[in-house]
Amino acid sequence: MKQTAPLIFGFVIGMIMFLQYFIPHPPFTTAYSTVLDWKQVVFGMTLILGILSLLRYHMKHVQRRSSSWRYSVVTLVGFLVMVLGAAVQGTDRGVYSWFFDHVQSPMQSTMFALLAFYVASASYRAFRARSLEAALLLIAGIIVMLGRVPVGDIVQLDVAGTELSLSTISTWILDVPNLATKRGILIGVGLGIVATALKILLGIERTYLGKGA
Amino acid sequence: MDRLLNVLIRLKDLDRRVLFIFVALAVAIPVLKPMGLPIRSSRESVDFHRELTSLKAGDTILFSFDYDPQTRAELDPMTRVIWTTCFEKGVKIIALTLYPGGVGVADEISKELAEIHGKTYGEDYLFLGYNPDWSGTMLRLGESFRKTYPTDQLGRETGSFPIMENVDSYADTPLLVSVSSSAMAEYWAIWAGGKFGQKVITGNTAIQAVLVYPYYYSGQISGFLGGLKGAAELEMLTGQIGAATRGMDSQTTGHVLMVVFILLGNVAFLAERLRKRRAA
Repeated sequence: MKQTAPLIFGFVIGMIMFLQYFIPHPPFTTAYSTVLDWKQVVFGMTLILGILSLLRYHMKHVQRRSSSWRYSVVTLVGFLVMVLGAAVQGTDRGVYSWFFDHVQSPMQSTMFALLAFYVASASYRAFRARSLEAALLLIAGIIVMLGRVPVGDIVQLDVAGTELSLSTISTWILDVPNLATKRGILIGVGLGIVATALKILLGIERTYLGKGA
Repeated sequence: MDRLLNVLIRLKDLDRRVLFIFVALAVAIPVLKPMGLPIRSSRESVDFHRELTSLKAGDTILFSFDYDPQTRAELDPMTRVIWTTCFEKGVKIIALTLYPGGVGVADEISKELAEIHGKTYGEDYLFLGYNPDWSGTMLRLGESFRKTYPTDQLGRETGSFPIMENVDSYADTPLLVSVSSSAMAEYWAIWAGGKFGQKVITGNTAIQAVLVYPYYYSGQISGFLGGLKGAAELEMLTGQIGAATRGMDSQTTGHVLMVVFILLGNVAFLAERLRKRRAA
């Protein structure tokens, strides 16, 4: 029963959601709407679960005074200040808004901006033409990097007797090899999703039931 | 020859702090002394601009802030141009966000631009707030905006705002704009576009833009902006020169420097390989 019930439940709900695409009339539309409502509720609950798990993890760290417990205190204080600030004064003013504008926003922007430095350092050390494939990737990367900024329109290359700007070559790389590859991946992913969905519907794929299923 | 190889190989061990200083200078100098490099519009930006400017006064569009403060430098400029263009044309905007951090971004930009253009909350624009279930939200909006968001960001009944009078689903919004730092733009095209026929245009970070091409060429996304360059192109097309255009010089020098670093790294690598070969 512990296994059969979830399997039947999964099959029935899965079939309803599948059929409603082709039968846009009640009771399928009503069932579809109800499932979407439930989905939102379940999603909200997972957020609460995640928050509780985060709090428990950091509270344990503080209690045990483990190596980085001070960071856990910052996390807990930050969490409480933002939640209480938003609950009491709202999100458009007061403590929440101040912390967002003066702490969260500059800190997140700074972290992202630092990427430029690390990418520069990493590409200097790791982006090597070790093989033919790596060399091709390197050349394509350089062309796209330069082609995506104004200098790409200024620099002209002679390709088989035709003057082409770096941005034209960059556009070709994005439009042809990149597009073809991405489409191939998307088709593969799509087929994989269909296969997995069928396996779950038919009860062949049971890992979501937990161990021993 | 050996001495030259040794010098080149030593480049491999260049202190990364030196690299950091070069990057900082390459980005900072053009901000202080702009070069004014020419910006040419790409096909996808022209399409984006055409869709935006084909809106008529009184139209209502959906705008999704699918980013948070991390990518503001890259995405805020395009958001500002889009909102300004809509406000100038008399197009109404219903905004939402699928990022918790997007609430603050949306709040700040919408209030600032509404004040500049003398627009009224609830009449000319509305901010529905954050909804955590992104796929469910995209699907539910196709059924009813009011049911998906019974209240706005500040807890007031959505249906009570004049902007919502004749609008309740994708069928009532001629355009959906997603400015996104993730795959959200693709999901809007799949869920809102694929299932409900909503016309979608997107603004993306440069990294994400590469993934949008298949949707653009299949017509699922009617136009898109790729990174700061895309934003600068839109600024040029609309004549609203701003942060993106000013930032293009810095981005150019940054990219050129990165390419120089990559080439230097490879020269050091090849020199080392050559020395090993000679020693063998």
